[in-house]
Formats: sequence, C-alpha cells, structure tokens
Amino acid sequence: MRYLLYRLRRLAIVLAAVTFVTFLLVNVLPGDVAYEMAGMDSSEEEVQEIREELGLDRPVVIRYFEWVGGVFVGDWGTSFISSEDVWHAVTDRFPVSFELMLLAQILALAMAIPAGMASAFRPNGRADRIIGALAFASVSMPSFMTAILLIFVFALGLGWLPATGYEPLSSGLWANLKPMILPALSLALVEWTILMRTLRVEMISVLQENYIALARAKGMSNLRILWVHALRPSSFSMITLLGLQVARLLGGTIIIEQIFGIPGVGRLLIHAVYTRDFVVIQGCVTFFALAFVTANFLVDIAYAWLDPRVRTRGSHG
Amino acid sequence: MGEIILDVRNQRTAFATARGMLNAVDGVSFTLERGKTLGVVGESGSGKSVLSRSVMRLLPGNSVVPSDSKVILNGKDLTRLSETELRRLRGPEMAIVFQDPMTSLNPVLSIGKQIMEVLMFHMGMKKGPAKEKAVELLRAVGLPQPDVRVNQYPHQLSGGMRQRVAIAIAIACEPDLLIADEPTTALDVTVQAEILDLLQRMVKERNMAMILITHDMGVVAGRCDEVAVMYAGRIVEKAPVRELFNNTRMPYTAALLSSIPKVTDPPHRKLDAIEGRPPDLINPPQGCPFAPRCKFAGPECEEQVPPLEGPGAHQYACVKPLGEEVAA
Repeated sequence: MRYLLYRLRRLAIVLAAVTFVTFLLVNVLPGDVAYEMAGMDSSEEEVQEIREELGLDRPVVIRYFEWVGGVFVGDWGTSFISSEDVWHAVTDRFPVSFELMLLAQILALAMAIPAGMASAFRPNGRADRIIGALAFASVSMPSFMTAILLIFVFALGLGWLPATGYEPLSSGLWANLKPMILPALSLALVEWTILMRTLRVEMISVLQENYIALARAKGMSNLRILWVHALRPSSFSMITLLGLQVARLLGGTIIIEQIFGIPGVGRLLIHAVYTRDFVVIQGCVTFFALAFVTANFLVDIAYAWLDPRVRTRGSHG
Repeated sequence: MGEIILDVRNQRTAFATARGMLNAVDGVSFTLERGKTLGVVGESGSGKSVLSRSVMRLLPGNSVVPSDSKVILNGKDLTRLSETELRRLRGPEMAIVFQDPMTSLNPVLSIGKQIMEVLMFHMGMKKGPAKEKAVELLRAVGLPQPDVRVNQYPHQLSGGMRQRVAIAIAIACEPDLLIADEPTTALDVTVQAEILDLLQRMVKERNMAMILITHDMGVVAGRCDEVAVMYAGRIVEKAPVRELFNNTRMPYTAALLSSIPKVTDPPHRKLDAIEGRPPDLINPPQGCPFAPRCKFAGPECEEQVPPLEGPGAHQYACVKPLGEEVAA
C-alpha cells in the first residue's frame, strides 16, 4: 500500500514535469496558434486581436496553471483549430495507438525470447551467428523503411495484408488485427533485436549457474531447462528494457501511424504541433507520460513475479 | 561379492584449453557395489569433481574423452548412450548432490516444484501425487514442517536445509548410484555431521551405492567402505578404509593424513602442510606426479609413472611405498 502511494507520488512528479516542459517548449517555438487561426493573409493587428481574445498574451506560467486547473476539474480544453474537445479527441485515438504499441511489444518478445534462447544455448554456434546477423540487419533499418519494405512485399507483392487502414475491434478481432500486423511488425523488427541481445547475454551467464547443472543432472531436457529453469532468472534486464522502450515506441508509433494511415494519437499530435494547437499537444503528452509511467509500473510488478526474493522483501518492508 | 552397480574403466577426461590439453582425469578405474560407499579424497584440482561429472556424463563442450574409457552403470555402457538415453538414467539410476546448496537450487522455483519435476518427468506422476511424494521426501530428509516448506523458495531456507532439499531431489527417483560431491564443504561445521549422517542413512535405507567426494580425510574415516586417494587426475592409493588408515603405503596419503590437526596437539603447533603445489596438468612432470613434493622421492621416482597395483584390495601407485624400506 505504501508502495502504491510512493508510486502515485512519482507519477504526479513525472506528469507535472513533462507537461510543464512541453508547455514551455511549445511556447518557445516561433509562431503560435493565432497565426494559424487568422489565416494566410491576415494582418498583424488581426493576429494580435485573436491572441488577446484567447488570452495568449498572458505569461506562460499563468496559462500553464490555468490548464492544470482545468484538467483537475475534467476540462482538458478545446482544440483551437478543430474546436474538438481534447479529452474526447485523445481518448478516441489513444486506444488505437496503445493497441499498436502492445502488438509491437508482443511481436518483439515473441521473436526475442526464442531467438535469445537459441543464441545463448550455444554462444558463437551456428544458430547464434545466424540470429546475430539477422538481428543486426533488422536493427540497422529504421522502422519507417522497414514499414515501406513490408508494405511492398506483403501488401503490394503478395497481397496478404492491407497496406493501410484501421478497423475498430467491434468489427471483429481478425478484422481489427489484420491491418495492424504490418505496422506492429515494422516497430517490432527494430525493438526485438535489443531485447534479444539482452536476453542472450544474461542467459549465457545463467546457463553457467550450478542450478542449471543440477537441472541437467536431474535429467531435464534442454528445452525444459531453457524455458522453465533459465528464462525467468535471465529476463530481468530484458523486462527493464521493455518498460524503457515504451518511450521509444511512442515516438515510433507517430511515424508508423502516418505511413499506415492509422487514426491514432500520432496523427493528432503531429497536426497539433504544426498548428501550435497547444491544448491538444498537452493532452497527447499527458497521455504519453501516463502510458510510460504505467508501463514501468507494470515492469516493477513483473520483477516480483519473476523473482520470489523480491516478493518476500516487499511483504516484510 | 555384492551386485556391481558401477564399473569405471580407464576413465580419461581432458579439456581443450588455450595452452593445450589439460588431463583432469587420467586413467581412473574402480568398481562399486550396491550398498557400499567409496570415498574419493584429494586436494583441489586433483580431478575429483571432474571424475564425478565424467560418471554422470555431464561434461562441458570442450572436454575430450577417448573411446577406451568406459563407465558401466547397471550393465549399460554410458559412453555409448545418446544424450536422450542418458537423460532417462539421470534421476532414476544415478543422481548427484552438489557442493554448494546456496547456488545449486533454482532461486525462482519453489522447492516443491524442483522435486516434483523429477517425479513427473521420470516416474510419470501427476501433479497431485507428485506433491504428496515431495512432502514425504522432505520429511524423509528431516526438513521440519515439510508441508509448509514444500511451497517455499530456496532463499527462505538455511544452507543445511537447502542441502537436505538437494538430497531429497537426488533420492526422489530411488537411484542406484548417488554421487555426493563435497556435500558439506559449504556448510557450517555444526550441520556437516548431520548431512553426512543423513546421506549415510539414505544409502543404507534405500540400498544405493554412493561415491562420497571430499577433501577432508576425517569425513571419509567413519563413513566409507573403501577410499580412493586422487592426485593429479589419478588414483594413487585405494584400499578399504581401515586398511588405508592403518597401513598407509603412498607418501601422499600419509602427508594428507598428517596435515590434519589433532585435538591432542599442543597449542600453536605448526600445521603439517604439504610443500609445493600440485603439478601442472597441461605439462605434467616426468614420472610420479607427486615426486617433486615427496620427502621420500629418489631418482627412480622420475623414470616413469608408477602403475596402481598391489596385493588384494590395497593398491598404490608408488615406486618406494612406505613400510617397505626395512624389508628391502
């Protein structure tokens, strides 16, 4: 319980810092939303008028706290450009981005775990070298390039999967997943290599442990030794990375959503940045920060599941 | 003569290292009968542990075993079996207890699971009966509150208790051969005797054969039927335990025995350590490997490696054995 409170306090600090810094940064950028609203041919006076109307001429700090105050009473503001309610705009699109990230991480893990094990089982053996080369090739390509290659092969060439589009979950699980596979794969193909190499290194040292020798002496099969005896003690660094990668993935999804035409937060955010629509930027960034902190909270829970020693320490303290 | 469980013939185990071949076990032969305990004694690096792993066929990838080495367990030549066939024997026919119970149990699996998986894999038991059997085994090895402990993790147990768990794992499938590789070296002196007594009782009760590996002559004395003294990868003296202590022939054995401090010694007496260091196993010296450190060595000791021979059960590899100077 005390741990949860501690977590919440940290969440509050992270959120405050992230939102304030973005607020400042948007403010430092040349041009503001008033230019966008006034249109191309407007005079400086007209722009100034809009600014005063919106209260943009007041100091940054005051506007920031106004925004924070709004959030506390459930008012996330309204987009200056589209007049859309920010809360709705973000919560409509966030689940889509979240699904994309989750799928990407699941795919990355599904590739990283078996490949990492196969590599660690005989370091510098044939499997290890082949997997290492594949991983190197795969991580060398940025996700947007991988995305285009995947579209070229699987959508245009083979025609197995659609190149763009999005279907809500309400139209069926497979209909929903189908257009998500290529985007998630483009992200996963970069992420899996880091997870795989981390798992490999940690597992190589775990496989030297006495308890692995004992598992062999007990007559356990290699597969069982890898999956049951070695995987959990080997996955701490990998799980830590999994949480940290969420930050990178948030950036990655923005680009991937553009390429595949997925209506996620990414497109909303890019548009908002171009038009300096700061309430929308704030809304997106707050959700991103929430997602990041939550992911790392889940990682902490995963530690306890992975290692019983963490569990008992928690219950004593 | 009882039933012969284990017959090791001319076991050689070498490791390919950057400097060349390291002959860790260099031509070891012995047999072991059901119900008997063989003590294997030697200092660090004498090849005791490599010998135990050679018997279990649990050697690392850089090891080399020539084809004339044979390990025959219950009539089956282990050197000719595939990895899958060996796996079926590890547990039901041979089992090992490692030196350090702090690292030989998996920290993320409950001790119950670690016992149950052996029973489920080898005996085809279902989860429920396997758990009952695990509790029963924990009770048999003298772990207090076995029904609670079965769900606990290794870090919640003391070193002595963990070694009891390791023994429970080893005896779970009623193996014919139990190898105890320095089972008490990492434990407090107070629990050493308890663990050794437990091992001895298990061997008696279940009519197993045991190889007890140790560097402690005192451990061997009361608990083994026969003792083999190893030096530089070879057995240098082998005899029934009483005979070995009363009629030591090999100077190395004598030196080991006299290096044990005695309670009757006056205080502050200097320990009788053996001078020098064990030989380099990559470039072993010519002749008897112990000759450079031996008080009795003469030029004849450096001519060739003395073979292990002798009348009856007492065998020794020495050109100038103790107790023969007078007769000669």
